[in-house]
Amino acid sequence: MLSIVGTLIVVVLVWQAIVFIGGYPPFILPGPASVAGRFVSAWSQGTIWPHFVTTLVEVGLGFAVGAGLAVIVGYGLARSRIVERLLSPYLVAAQATPILAIAPLLALWFGTGLLSKVVICSLIVFFPMAVATMVGIRSVDARLLELGRSLRATRRQVLTSLEIPAALPSILGGMRVGVTLAVVGAIVGEWAGAEKGLGVLINLARGSLFDIPLMFATLLTIALLGIALYLVVVLVERRLIGAR
Amino acid sequence: MTSISPASPASLVLPPANGSIDVVGVDLAFPTRDRGVLPVLDGIDLRVAGGGIVALIGPNGCGKSTLLRVIAGLLAPQVGRVTLDGAAITAPDPGICLVFQEPRLLPWRSAADNITYPLELAGWSVERRRARLRELTDLVDLDPGVVGNRPAELSGGTRQRVALARALALQPRVLLLDEPFSALDALSRERFDLELLRLWERAATTIVLVTHSIAEAILVADRVVVLSPRPGRVVADIPVDLPRPRSIADLDGAVVSRTAREVRAALGEPMAVPV
Repeated sequence: MLSIVGTLIVVVLVWQAIVFIGGYPPFILPGPASVAGRFVSAWSQGTIWPHFVTTLVEVGLGFAVGAGLAVIVGYGLARSRIVERLLSPYLVAAQATPILAIAPLLALWFGTGLLSKVVICSLIVFFPMAVATMVGIRSVDARLLELGRSLRATRRQVLTSLEIPAALPSILGGMRVGVTLAVVGAIVGEWAGAEKGLGVLINLARGSLFDIPLMFATLLTIALLGIALYLVVVLVERRLIGAR
Repeated sequence: MTSISPASPASLVLPPANGSIDVVGVDLAFPTRDRGVLPVLDGIDLRVAGGGIVALIGPNGCGKSTLLRVIAGLLAPQVGRVTLDGAAITAPDPGICLVFQEPRLLPWRSAADNITYPLELAGWSVERRRARLRELTDLVDLDPGVVGNRPAELSGGTRQRVALARALALQPRVLLLDEPFSALDALSRERFDLELLRLWERAATTIVLVTHSIAEAILVADRVVVLSPRPGRVVADIPVDLPRPRSIADLDGAVVSRTAREVRAALGEPMAVPV
């Protein structure tokens, strides 16, 4: 905790020093004090709040849908040679195409509302989570599976009592990556077309409002959102597998 | 296939059917990578009377563990059959439980939850599982203070005790032990052998024990069955004429030396095998 505060102080000091030495005007690089002030005022005046809620809902839904599908597909990839052969080329191709390039198309198809953001978030979350699930399920100790067989565990019992608990560390590792990517997906989706959201607010602050401290305050909000979601996953991880 | 009746403290003493195993003319071969076959078991005939203890001994790779898996219903032989109290074994049976060489505990579960795992799979209620857990920890002499611990926090011996308790959870008529104490040091191993005998007296199961140790085989078993190098065949079936209950001191007697000599001769290694 102390080290986190320490590095934070160093970062803020370096930032202030750059502003001071470089003599940058606030519309290029506002100082930490002005950003902090704008951050507080934007939150207290309710400027950020509605955008924040919109983005949070997009991230939450998109992550849930993407992660849910990824766990199912990842399991199929791990356990079925045919599924792996059929799907993996398309999965890799989808992953290799930058989400930034697909986002405008998805906005065209699914509109500028919640749906297109959920689709983009799901897509970006899907690949790392599917791979993490596949690796996790494949790494389940065959000896434990033999034990399950010798105890006459049903297919379902093998899944719930052996495979999922054994693959959980890997799946949660994928979630750490996935949840931060979901935030990226939501912002990209908002840039491709939206009325509300933190991505929209960044564009507004840079464009029509020309409020660069607000833009920084929004960036800070996005970063904090990512950190908070990451910490939630870490907490879940500690709770589920900490004592192993 | 007969299912075992739900456990109650009274039925801890003697399960209904007596657990006799018949292995008749079992041949088993594994496919090899170059599409050939590797014969592992060759015409195995083995009868174990209900409540008896038989030790299987043989050189490395002779198919001892494979034979146990066939009896456990985990592997199907190409030829021959296995019956438990007259009923054919074609799949894992609740009347037979296999204890593996390693404890194979689920690392994310406490010792207690590992012991009651088979009961959970069989759909027992939480209260019944808890009651059975107490009986089982008594049965295998497991310190009740450690049942809340995860396997990683337990010693090797305690882990194997937990595995044994788990194997006994559903009161199998037959216990198959695949070198269960081979990872333990010699002293703990002797202690576990004697405990196994006491357990056998109380739990009244048939036991088939795979071992590398002639001393262990003689100390524990009614008969020592010697397998040949791969493909495994029964080359000798040597009775152990030691009265029960047995103790470590029995290992110094003349009967033991004579039996050990017979086992060594059957193994084809006159004096090479350490006792």
